[in-house]
Amino acid sequence: MRAIIKDGVGVFHPQGFLDGASSTSILSIDDIEATLKANAGMILVSLSKVIFFNRNGLDAFVKMFHKVREKNHTTVGFCDYDQKKYDAIMKFYKDELFFSLFETQEIATLFASNYSNQTKNVLVYSDDKSQRAAMAIELHDNGHNPIVVQTKEEFKAKSANEDAYDVIISNTYLGQMGQSIATRVTGNAIIYTVSSFLDADIGNTFNIEYHNNSLNVGFRLFIFDAYKVISMNIHALNFFSKLASSAAEYNATICFVGLSFDKTPISFKETLEDSGIMFFEQMDDILQNKELLDELGGTSTANIKNKRALNKEIVSKLPNFIGATVQTIEMMTNAKAIKETANVHQIDIGDKENKVASSIGFYGDIDGMVMLVFPLEIAKKACELLIGETTDDQELILDTLAELVNIVGGKVKTLLGDAHISVDITLPRTYKDINGFLEIASNKKGVQVDLSFNNDSFVFFLTR
Amino acid sequence: MITKAKINEFIKKIPPKSEILRSTIMLLNQGELIKAAKVATEDLALSAYLRDLVNKPIYGFANEVNEVSQIFGILGVERSQQSVYNYMINLLSPKNWHFFKLNKTSFSHLQAELSTSWHKILNHLEIKDKEIQNSITLLPSSIIISEALFCDKKDDVELLRSASDIDLNTILKRLCGMDLFDIAQVIATKWEMDPTISKIIQASSGIKPSEDEQINKLGKWMHLLLFYTLSKPTYIEAGLNDFIEFQIDYVDDIYEDFATLMEIQ
Repeated sequence: MRAIIKDGVGVFHPQGFLDGASSTSILSIDDIEATLKANAGMILVSLSKVIFFNRNGLDAFVKMFHKVREKNHTTVGFCDYDQKKYDAIMKFYKDELFFSLFETQEIATLFASNYSNQTKNVLVYSDDKSQRAAMAIELHDNGHNPIVVQTKEEFKAKSANEDAYDVIISNTYLGQMGQSIATRVTGNAIIYTVSSFLDADIGNTFNIEYHNNSLNVGFRLFIFDAYKVISMNIHALNFFSKLASSAAEYNATICFVGLSFDKTPISFKETLEDSGIMFFEQMDDILQNKELLDELGGTSTANIKNKRALNKEIVSKLPNFIGATVQTIEMMTNAKAIKETANVHQIDIGDKENKVASSIGFYGDIDGMVMLVFPLEIAKKACELLIGETTDDQELILDTLAELVNIVGGKVKTLLGDAHISVDITLPRTYKDINGFLEIASNKKGVQVDLSFNNDSFVFFLTR
Repeated sequence: MITKAKINEFIKKIPPKSEILRSTIMLLNQGELIKAAKVATEDLALSAYLRDLVNKPIYGFANEVNEVSQIFGILGVERSQQSVYNYMINLLSPKNWHFFKLNKTSFSHLQAELSTSWHKILNHLEIKDKEIQNSITLLPSSIIISEALFCDKKDDVELLRSASDIDLNTILKRLCGMDLFDIAQVIATKWEMDPTISKIIQASSGIKPSEDEQINKLGKWMHLLLFYTLSKPTYIEAGLNDFIEFQIDYVDDIYEDFATLMEIQ
């Protein structure tokens, strides 16, 4: 069983009865390896579909938690349980609870620095005083408004008024929290979460190849979520200055959010500002301000630094890329694709109305980028299978489209892997506006394949 | 990925009930065990299946049982009829499994496990109705249908599941407007099985509760039994544990009773 990763949170969904025999069958060594390699800031095991478990049944997952913590320092734990399950886990692991327990996935997300939600008013209760404090700090750091109650009686009284709070937290326990550089995408900004002390180690833990490929794919806004950073030293300062210089060549913006200068020299801020890095107190100062978001590049893609030529190696793999794309869209729409034309030139979309686009980069043995332009109707149809209903909510369509393109990327990775070509893929980027998309795509030469699904034209473009 | 045409093609390929099977079931229905055994013996594949089934350790017979008349005598009317239905479902199973890691032996073992547990449950619920006894035999057909429809779509399903916690039943429903249990019902109709069987199977999906209280209750027991069985390592490794979604809330009110009966600790 593999974790499903969304917004930087990986969730396992076992179901049925979990005992020692079944859980080791559910979680193979390969599954654990895949989890270790996953770029997730939080790994959870949902117990919502587990009706029975014993300690042996949970142990296989707890062993995985140990490995994930040891290697990636991410937050790990169980979620989606009732009082009975919570009490059982507490009893099983009373003195060795290094992992977290989140009553629901929604609650877990509050601790996962996910800014896709608005700031929440959260009622918090735990009979453990240190837990109450830890939860309040984490929630506050993540931009929420915790209301902590000290006694069970007070909690009962306050929680009776459900409408007063967005979320009520009681049966939740924070184990060791994450420290890694988790990556997630909000809209079209990439958010890196950094914490603790930033020193020379940042050069090792930050995935610069991934960052550069994200720039190449067209991401222009990179936000460092630095609420939990205690201080940074001169080595980290140099690292970020260099990062800012390379971003400037792409006209990209780097921002820090929530960085405190209590223990970091204020002169560092001036140096970083001189390099072009911007500072904000709250994540919402950027994400909720559409004008600023446009200005910072969260929706724009102008000025590509390098125009690299297509090479023979990539073109020879074109059938793999087309195959992966066509199979995925066919799978999602249940419609047959007809290949119409294939040419090497700069992208030509024709009619730009009612179209959405997405791009995903790949890097490794070969590197490049797949760009897809969908008629809105195909995008909606393709997303129906994942959403389960027809929707006109453009944000939801774009989010689901990103997942779909991620599936295409996964399939490309598998097909190339079969041909002994190892690549990694970037996060997908979506464009609700074709003009924004053309800013990045129009000056690139690539292979354009025009496809038709149910008489709707669909553009596949492979470039570097 | 899967189209309605593919479903129709699958349904079209389901053979009608043979004359021997029709007569065997009819005679068993009338309580004519010896006559039924005599007819059943004419179908060599059926005889071999029954011998193989009844000599599985799960049935717990000390000595090997060979004669069909002996088998029917030992099993009694209800379980004999159940075994014949299991054989019919088994006829639909593929020669080689691709989507699930199963084979003929492990599939018939699964059928036997479900049938014996169902028998235990119905004894506990003090239900003697023949059709209700038989209803369990149709449940594994949902696995065969999944295999038939998704056998060459394994990679696609895996990729889809890397993005969403989605089960085969939901994929099918969203793509074709028909789910595994609807197709199982079509099979039941084609084989002239009692309508009660189809109703219980639909309820056992966990997503289509019946308005009939007793059928709904049996659907809950069957849904829970299915997941109890599919939580065994062999079936998890076969990829069966998450082929449909476990509806934990649906079975909540019978769980304690089930756990006591199955001695789950």
